[in-house]
Amino acid sequence: MQSEINDAALDYLLARAGLDLTDEQKAELKTVHAALAALAERVRKPRGRMAEPAHAYAFAEEDL
Amino acid sequence: MSDAIPTIAEAARLIAAKQLSPVELTRACLARVHALDAELHAFVHLTEERALAEARAAERAIMAGRPSGPLHGIPIGLKDIVDTKGIPTTCGSKFLQDNIPDTDAACAEKLAAAGTVLMGKLTTHEFADGGPSFDLPAPPARNPWNTEHFTAGSSSGTGAGVAAGLILGGIGTDTGGSIRGPAALCGIAGIKPTYGLVSRAGVAPAAYSLDHIGPMAWTAEDCALMLQALAGHDPRDPASAQHPLPDYTALLGRGIKGLKIGVIHHFHEVDHRVSEGTQRGIDTALATFRDLGAELREVQLSPLQDWAACGSLISITERAAAYEEWSRTRLGDFSERMRSRLMLGALVSGVDYVQAVRRRRELRAELQAAMRGLDVVLTATQPAEAAKIDAVPKWDLFDRPNFTMPFNVAGYPAISVCAGFGAGGLPVAIQLVGKPFQEPTLFRVADAFEKATPFRGQRPALVATVATA
Repeated sequence: MQSEINDAALDYLLARAGLDLTDEQKAELKTVHAALAALAERVRKPRGRMAEPAHAYAFAEEDL
Repeated sequence: MSDAIPTIAEAARLIAAKQLSPVELTRACLARVHALDAELHAFVHLTEERALAEARAAERAIMAGRPSGPLHGIPIGLKDIVDTKGIPTTCGSKFLQDNIPDTDAACAEKLAAAGTVLMGKLTTHEFADGGPSFDLPAPPARNPWNTEHFTAGSSSGTGAGVAAGLILGGIGTDTGGSIRGPAALCGIAGIKPTYGLVSRAGVAPAAYSLDHIGPMAWTAEDCALMLQALAGHDPRDPASAQHPLPDYTALLGRGIKGLKIGVIHHFHEVDHRVSEGTQRGIDTALATFRDLGAELREVQLSPLQDWAACGSLISITERAAAYEEWSRTRLGDFSERMRSRLMLGALVSGVDYVQAVRRRRELRAELQAAMRGLDVVLTATQPAEAAKIDAVPKWDLFDRPNFTMPFNVAGYPAISVCAGFGAGGLPVAIQLVGKPFQEPTLFRVADAFEKATPFRGQRPALVATVATA
């Protein structure tokens, strides 16, 4: 995720999400975009393609 | 009965010995509701007639020698995202003002089966997210220790209601700290159990894979009594665990000599430095545990910011998916704070979400490894005493990584207990985290702390203004 977002990109994302925002709401969303982008960067690690997500898991003996 | 508010355990003993009537107990709670709730706003829907009828039925059964356990005749409340048959369930939202479910949520069913007296539905942030909001049909709950201050959320009514003795226990839900946060700021106990231990069936979702249901009460012992009634497999909840259920009170009173407690110092001293009062509460707890014979060890995990990033991305995306239909058609009907959270969903890509879920697996593995050889770990619950209710930052999810989200990400059980009083006489708390399904150990440590410290002897000053006898 880029830390800056321009109006056209924001409009595209909002249209894709089906959200109809006022200009004021769009402006507010732009102010937090960089912070959200930083979160998205934080979860990216050099883990390679084989690392599995934790969509579903069961607690194993070693948890206990 | 006296004006003192009993714990669930105390009330249960008195009721069993026929020294306390469930009707008297319920009337005392109702007297506090009538005296205080116009200011506290803990209830959105009071079920007074039903409560008195249930209390009378409990009294008859107990007098006839048919008690159903320690919750029989105990007045409780349910967060208003918990479905209740025939009783309005609004989720704090304009969308559901006329919603009257035709079935009970699993947790409501279980507490009713245990003989509790339902006092009513309790204030929540809209769909358990985003508050405090002043643009919803009902006002936000106020902190009984100082009503100009916030309760934290989203189980805000449960926190306020228990602290002020309007109820003896209640249900909260916790997606990133919504049980433990209000427990901390309202000076009570609240446990987020292991993921899957308590059924989510019939409870409005906030973020499916992070949502937990759990009890909030004055003490850890009371939470254990409530969890006993709540825990268990439920095929209606796809995440429901199939695990043998222990006696959650079995280890209470055994002391903690020899137990190993890990302390995640860097969470609350470096990653997000807590207030002086909160640090004093943590220091008090560590000294108490040492005096009680526990062994303290340092624990190092990834920075709090990593856990918060992972949990926040999952939470934002799952919430946006859950409420997509209404977001597309009636976005303006959400509160301003909930609407802002939902808007964020448009900016998170599918790839961002999966990267967060891949990170989740790594973080869980890290916690599992760190807890090897330990019984529990400890950190803060909240960064500071309760803020003024009109000064709660809207975007604190970006500015201040929270201390509770890591254990929603991991699914591990975590309890908040009162650790004293800080600035302005407002409560501070510690958070104890156990291994999956090891809630009895968590209760053992939390209960030992509560019994070794004087903090359970003090209720909010406004409670003393109410005569119930």
